[in-house]
This record gives sequence, C-alpha cells and structure tokens, in this order.
Amino acid sequence: MIVENDGIADTLELRRGSTLARGEVMGEICHHLSPFQVGEKPIAGDTVIAKDLTIDSLAIMDMVMELEDRFDVSIPMNVVAEIHTVDQLADTILKLHARR
Amino acid sequence: MKSLPTRNSKLALHRAGFASVPAMLDYAAEGETGVTFYNAKGEQLSALPWSDVRQRAHVVARKLIGAGFARGERILITADTWPGFFDSFFGAQYAGLLPVPVSIPVGIGGKEAYLDQLRRQLDASGAVAAFGLDDLAGYLGEAAKEFPGVRLHGGMDVLHELPEKPVDLRPLGVDDLCYIQFSSGSTRHPHGVQITQRALMANLAGMTGPAGLDVVVGDRAVSWLPLYHDMGLIGFLMAPLSAQLSIDYMTPRDFARRPMQWLNLMSRNRGTISYSPSFGYDLAVRRGAAQVPADLDLKSWRHAGIGGDMVRADVLERFASTFEGAGFNSKAFIPSYGMAEVCLAITFSPHGTGVRTDTVDRTTLAEAQRAVPAADPADDRQARRFVLCGRVLPGHQLEVRGADGEVLADREVGRIFVAGPSIMPGYFGEPEASQEVLSADGWLDTGDLGYTLAGEIVVTGRAKDLIIVNGRNVWPQDIEWAIEAKRLTKNGDAAAFSIDTGEGERVVVAVLARVSGEEARLALARDVAGAVREAIAVDCDVALVPPTVGLPTTSSGKLSRARTKANYLAGLYASASPSLKPAAA
Repeated sequence: MIVENDGIADTLELRRGSTLARGEVMGEICHHLSPFQVGEKPIAGDTVIAKDLTIDSLAIMDMVMELEDRFDVSIPMNVVAEIHTVDQLADTILKLHARR
Repeated sequence: MKSLPTRNSKLALHRAGFASVPAMLDYAAEGETGVTFYNAKGEQLSALPWSDVRQRAHVVARKLIGAGFARGERILITADTWPGFFDSFFGAQYAGLLPVPVSIPVGIGGKEAYLDQLRRQLDASGAVAAFGLDDLAGYLGEAAKEFPGVRLHGGMDVLHELPEKPVDLRPLGVDDLCYIQFSSGSTRHPHGVQITQRALMANLAGMTGPAGLDVVVGDRAVSWLPLYHDMGLIGFLMAPLSAQLSIDYMTPRDFARRPMQWLNLMSRNRGTISYSPSFGYDLAVRRGAAQVPADLDLKSWRHAGIGGDMVRADVLERFASTFEGAGFNSKAFIPSYGMAEVCLAITFSPHGTGVRTDTVDRTTLAEAQRAVPAADPADDRQARRFVLCGRVLPGHQLEVRGADGEVLADREVGRIFVAGPSIMPGYFGEPEASQEVLSADGWLDTGDLGYTLAGEIVVTGRAKDLIIVNGRNVWPQDIEWAIEAKRLTKNGDAAAFSIDTGEGERVVVAVLARVSGEEARLALARDVAGAVREAIAVDCDVALVPPTVGLPTTSSGKLSRARTKANYLAGLYASASPSLKPAAA
C-alpha cells in the first residue's frame, strides 16, 4: 500500500526553494487546451478534458508530453489513467514537481 | 553505453528451423547479439544480450516452478517494452507456463476501461498469476480481486522476491502451446488466439525465409511496435530472435510522442528491417517532415514493411518523398498481410518492387463486387487505388471465395480464406468461436475481403465490422457500449462504423437523437464523442438520427451497421458534431 506523504514533500520543496505556483501550471494547461474550447464556456478546474472539449486523444498525449517537459516531471501511466479534470492534471503536476 | 553488435563473431546465422522458443533462445544465447531499449530522447536505457535474456529467464523459471505453478497454467503479463516483459515471457517459456501478454492503459481517464479489459482477459485466459510494470501493480491487484484463481500478482518485485529453488527447468516443447495472443474479438468478449510452438516455428520460417524478409547476416531490427500485438511480439521479437539478430526498441508511447526517434534509431544503428502500420509512416511525416536532421541516413533500411492496417499507397508515397533526401529507398517498402490467427504473416510483397497498386472502378466494386480497372485512374471520385500484398507463404494456401463457398476468379471480390501450418488450432477455451472461423479441413475464414491478381492478394476491406484506428483494432460494439454505459442512449440506439477518408479510417457513431433544440443536440453529440474518447481513446464524428427515421435493422431485428453506414454515406444523416480538428501536426 502506498502512503501519500505530502507533508515531507512540501518540506523538501520549501528547502529547495523552487515552489511551483499552481497558477502557472493552470495557465500552461489552459494555454494548451484553449484551441479546443467549446462555445463560450471557459476552461476551468472542473473541465473534464476528454469530454468537455473537442481535443482528440493524440493531442491530449501531446499536451501531457509538453507539460512533462515544461515542468520536468514524468506522470506514471497509472496516474494518467486516473486524471479526468484540469484540476486533477494540475494537482498531479504540482505533486510530482514537489517530489523531484 | 555500447550498443550490441549487429553480427555475431562466431555463431552462424540460422534462419528459424528450431523446435520451440526455448530452443531458439538457447541458440541465440551462444552469440553476442541481443536487445537494447531506448527512451524518447534516443538514450540507451539498457541492453541485454540474448545470453542475459536466457540467464534471467532461467532464474525466473526456477522461481515460478518453485512457487508451485503447474505446467500449462497461464500467466498474464502487461506487455510494455521493458526488460521485465522479457524476464517474465521467456521465464514462463522455460517453466512450461503460457504467457498472456496484455496491453497497458491508454490516455487520460482510461482507468475503468482498462480494469474492465484486465478482468475480461483474466476471465478468458483463466490466468493464475498477473505480473506487470510496477506502476500497474495496483491495477492488477484491483482486477484480480474477483478472481481467486489468481494466486500471485503485482510488479516485477513480486516475481523476483520468490525464492529460486533448485528445480529442473521444464521448457515448452514442439508439441506445446507457446502463448495466448489477445488481439481478436472485442474487448467485451476477447478471443485469445492459441499460438502453438509448431505453428509459430512454421510462420517464422516463412517470415525469415526467401519468400518473406530473406534475413541475412548484417540485418538489424528496429521496432516501436507494441509487444502485446502479434506484429510487435512475433514480428519484432520472435522473428529477429529466430535469426539471432539484434533488436533496438523504443516504446509505442515514445514513438507516438517522438516519431522521429524511430528514424534516428534506424539511422544511428544502421537498422535494416523495420515495420509499421501505414499510420506510423504517416505520423513520421506529419511530425518529422519539418525537422529532418541533416545527418539522418536511411540508406541501410532494406525492408520497410507495412502491415496491421490497410496499406495506404498515398501515405507511403509521402513518406518516401519526405525521406528520399535522407537516403530512404521507396523500393524497400514491403506491403504485407496477416493476422494473429495465422501467428502473424500470410503474404509478403516481393522484394525490391516497393508499393504496387491496382486502381479500380468504385461503382463496379461496390455494386458488383468486381475489381475492374478504372477508366480514368486519376479520377478520385470514380477510381479507388488498392495495394498488392504479394503471394501466400510457401506451404500455405489462399483462396478468395464467394457467398456460396466457390473459389472466385481474379478480380472478383470475396472473403479471404487461408490454410497451412501457421494456422491456429483455435481460440483458447472457445470451441464455438473457433468453429465459426475454422473449417474441419483446416481453412481459416479471415473475415477480410479482397481479390486475387495473378496469384497476389489485394485486400479491400473487412467483412466483419471491425474498425482499425491508428493500428488499433476497435470493435463497434465496444464503442456503442461505452455510450450506453454513460446512459446517453439506450441499447440499440447507437451504431458505430468507420469510413474510409482516403487518409485513414474515421470513426462515425450514428445515434438516435431523442432530444430537441439545437443546444441539446450539440450537447448530446459532444457527450457521445466524449464518452467514446474517454472509454476507448478513439475520436469520432457523431451523426444524429431523428427517431422518426430510426436506425436500420437486419431481418432478425439486429442493428445493421453496414446499412447505417450506407445511409450515412448517402447523406441521410446530418453530421451534428463540430468537426474535430486533426491532431496537432
């Protein structure tokens, strides 16, 4: 069983002094997703990526890859498979970034 | 890190002719060649000479035997391209156990669909253990919960932590099965093809022999093909192993992200043999054309095979012209035809001819099932180009038959049947499904349609409703079920099929729209496309069908996808989905 230990991860992150702002991650994700927005509904944290937008699966993979490169993280495939919303994607990147 | 040599210093090249997979590996292990794994950046991750592969497999085999697994029991393995797959697959071979290679999850949000797939595969194979990538250990455990017969599951550590006992190996032999290949049947009702050692050896002999790729000293294989697919596992693990070649691998995931790395690997390591479905060549052009490295050198590539989906001449021509400057020879293309039910290969185009096409009249083809040369081959509306896929392998037979089972003449389109030593004995544990495709006298109904031309086969489509997207087989039932599962439609209110766009297949889902108002209709179309993308990782167009029009059914009341498609092509249903953008180029 895996025990999440965000307390330690946060401490390490602070010590390293490389805090990644959530806004920056959200901004980057929204930048990638904006071409696929449907109508006037803005892209928000609860936007379900594969469902609420017109993005196709190859473009989703491209985006994940570019986000991984941009924030220097690697999202394991089992974690990717559990991401549905923009918020979940952002939180995953922040969590992995903090653990680097 | 040093890359493994292309040639063995002393060991003579033996092309197939072995009794079994363990016998092939025993022989290859006497040389210095082997497998090397690369990442998306083209960096070497690890290299295993065949001697190491064998050594590690022996250790795993003793652990598996020591753990009490009985001969013939099945072991599910997530077949990502990594050394763990080699350890467990070959370990099973030396332990007398049957590997069941399965895919890894695709895309975001795919967890539930993947677990569902795992459960169905555990059920169909009756597996007693399930091993995989560490990242997937949790999924294996979750899927195995319902199966008390699965006695051991988890990441590779679970396998490696078993004690190695001083037991005798019990390698699979010529009369045994080799493994179970899931690539046939829908994910709801998966059919596991029984790959026997004997049929595999026969198919490998054909593939590596003069009518196949005619493997010679100096050949080197490069592959990004998934090892859970017959083209990856048999074509680019078993076949090179059967001729003691070195293989350079990258994962399918990394290929999709960085397709140019495939060509870079070919160039750097002087690869000579590599295969891809048409879509892989297309991806390399679309993503790579703008940034062809100046030092890319594809002159060594002597067999550029195409298989796994309909061979597309236009795609291959674009690839050839894009990489001609880098030394790619268009005559290296080898259109091929095959399926898991014959292990892998059934026909190969002759060497040195490249892609040869036959351009036929569309109307006669559709209405009279005859492939008549087109009056004006340049007129795309009336002319349809097909690729010749070559002759059947020696020792095998191929026939194109009409509706009454009669063998058809050249240019008459019918169902393709094959017979010979590579044919499977049947689907695992499914006598009825096996009987549907195998006749008592040993002929396999491929379910594909085509015609012959002076002894060569031209494949025109599939009799079954199977959809192939980017090299992936997708069953329309799975798409329809994904939509129904989200309660967007009732059972029977959605019909999935694919249309030939000339560039590839496009999935279309026709759904009965029991909603009114433009907004509600658009929302339904979006939800349907979203549900399909989430569950199956496939993009689709949605056509909304008014309930007054309805979806066509067969005489027995079953949904008729073929007629739905015909209606759609005739313009009876308006496409309601906002046209999806093509993948970022």
